[in-house]
Amino acid sequence: MKPNFIQKVTNWGNFPVVEKEIKSEDSIERIKDFVRNNNEVIARGNGRCYGDASLSEHIFSTRRLNKFISFDRLNGVIECESGVLLSHVLEVIVPQGYFLYVTPGTKFITVGGAIASDVHGKNHHAEGCFSEYVEEFSLLNENSEVITCSRTENEDKFWATIGGMGLTGIILSAKFKLKNIETAYIRQESVKAQNLDEIFKLFDESESWTYNVAWIDCLQRGKNIGRSIMMRGEHAFKHELPKKMQENPLRLKKKMIPKIPFYFPDFLLNKFTVKLFNFLYFNKQQQKMVKNYVDYETFFYPLDVVNDWNKIYGKSGFIQYQMVIPKEKGKEGMEKILQTIAKSGNGSFLAVLKLFGKNNPHAYNSFPTEGYTLALDFKVNSRLKKLVTDLDEIVEEYGGRIYLTKDSMSKSTLTNYLQNVQNPKFVSMQHKRIMNSNN
Amino acid sequence: MIVLGSNSEIAQAFVEKVLEAGEKYQTVFLFTSNRETTQKFAQHIDVKFFQQTEIIELDLMKEIDYNKFDDITSDLLFCATGYLGEGTDEALYNNKNTEKVIDINFAKLVPVLNFFAAKMERQRSGTMIVLSSVAGDRGRQSNFIYGSAKAGLTAYLSGLRNYMFSRKVHVLTVKPGFMDTKMTEGLPLNPALTATPRQAAEEIYTAYKRKKNTAYVLPLWSIIMLIIKNIPEFIFKKLKL
Repeated sequence: MKPNFIQKVTNWGNFPVVEKEIKSEDSIERIKDFVRNNNEVIARGNGRCYGDASLSEHIFSTRRLNKFISFDRLNGVIECESGVLLSHVLEVIVPQGYFLYVTPGTKFITVGGAIASDVHGKNHHAEGCFSEYVEEFSLLNENSEVITCSRTENEDKFWATIGGMGLTGIILSAKFKLKNIETAYIRQESVKAQNLDEIFKLFDESESWTYNVAWIDCLQRGKNIGRSIMMRGEHAFKHELPKKMQENPLRLKKKMIPKIPFYFPDFLLNKFTVKLFNFLYFNKQQQKMVKNYVDYETFFYPLDVVNDWNKIYGKSGFIQYQMVIPKEKGKEGMEKILQTIAKSGNGSFLAVLKLFGKNNPHAYNSFPTEGYTLALDFKVNSRLKKLVTDLDEIVEEYGGRIYLTKDSMSKSTLTNYLQNVQNPKFVSMQHKRIMNSNN
Repeated sequence: MIVLGSNSEIAQAFVEKVLEAGEKYQTVFLFTSNRETTQKFAQHIDVKFFQQTEIIELDLMKEIDYNKFDDITSDLLFCATGYLGEGTDEALYNNKNTEKVIDINFAKLVPVLNFFAAKMERQRSGTMIVLSSVAGDRGRQSNFIYGSAKAGLTAYLSGLRNYMFSRKVHVLTVKPGFMDTKMTEGLPLNPALTATPRQAAEEIYTAYKRKKNTAYVLPLWSIIMLIIKNIPEFIFKKLKL
């Protein structure tokens, strides 16, 4: 049998699918050889970016770089290899009274991916991006050297790599700070909003909350446009919890995780089923406001409770469209975007609205800038390209941009914001696509 | 806990599985021929489980000083030592390759297993979990040097289990089929027949707790090997397996 590293690869959106070389190694020497002997290499973590950002001719999978290195339990600083999943980090740190400063909506991403995408969470307005808490990382660069990058050492590479989508090299390990928690629970308030005006007002009022995010029904039109539910939260203290949760406040019971066993047939998700889902979701909460305590998994990772949920979009896959529109024009832009989506009939199961705070000027490759951000899932079908083009027009008109981690078909002028990251060694299909359409 | 072949991904997954299940050991002894990479695993275990480990160098291709192992005892031994060797036609007639495959998988390994078996016999308790291979169930043209060494190991383990039964020591023979590990990386394996180290660890842990004698990592393999073992020789010799 001849070795055969060529495999079918696709990321979370199941679009696009390519046949490329995947190599996975834990020996630094052999990783160096791989980089030395190939051009057009890109690192790939758990494949949870949506589109083509981690696809290339030669893919280096970090799944074998999965070891913890050190944990300063006194000061809350942990160091691990880049392929360690955030879920594994949480398993170690939560029982010790620590949490991640910044986490995206899934815990099944790698630490390396979190840096390369500079992920944001529900607390961006208060605590910024993942990179704010990264002390240092080691990077295998285009010359096959391993360098340490921090705010004081190789700082140009440090900042270029943050949000740099893997184009500066392969992140091998990272050291980052953790946040103290007393319990694994969140004090949560869910507030209903009937329209955009209400939800925007709610965002302004909720600025003092650490976490806030809104689910939005994107198929509503007219006076109901922007109908949504805001969820805001704070890490709960032990004394405020209901008695039962106080018993073992840092340990959650293991839950059974159901799995979507196969790709759902294409007809299952359509305008009507999405409308029905949104109706039920909005109306399951009767009161204007509900206050309760939920475990951190329910609050941060509602979708992680179903394995392989991406399969509900069928074999042809789906895209996630996430853009940001500067704050001043945010409301006007969002209204236009929601109208365009409602008119197109391409419903989104999952539409999430958030207000970003100020960006970190050093992290010039990071996606978040101050303004409103909306993330939407769309099934890939014949009408989608047109919708994306229309949405891109609006985003451009209002001076916004697209999140590269989720992009797979947006206009290049909205996605070419990366700086100082050009070399023939590390190239992704996404980067090529964006660069080619620029010429 | 004693781990032979600590750099094996299955061994590492098994150690994690046991510790996740809440079992604690005074020390986990990590035997390895590569101290550097095992050091990484030891640190990982320390961060994850706050578990004491000790790394002990053991190279089966070198002279072994058993005095160094005198104080090492445990109720659980996991052995994942193995060497696939080169599977090419040229390698078949390469004596160095052949000897190394036989030594690491059988000839040099058995004395080490015997050494720890004797300790368990003296304490009249313990479990030895040893990875053999489906390749040892019947010699096939694709890898029969490796297969014959594993067949020797399987026979040794079966005898040892029999000998140890009245002495309160249990022996579990594990026969992983295709594994998704560094050892097989790049081979075009059928995903339905290929297990991840994590899956293997789960299966082995269950077999250990149920005091099974032999365990295939994926149940399908027991059926496949049953068929392969029962093909009459006059047909078998003509097959390309």
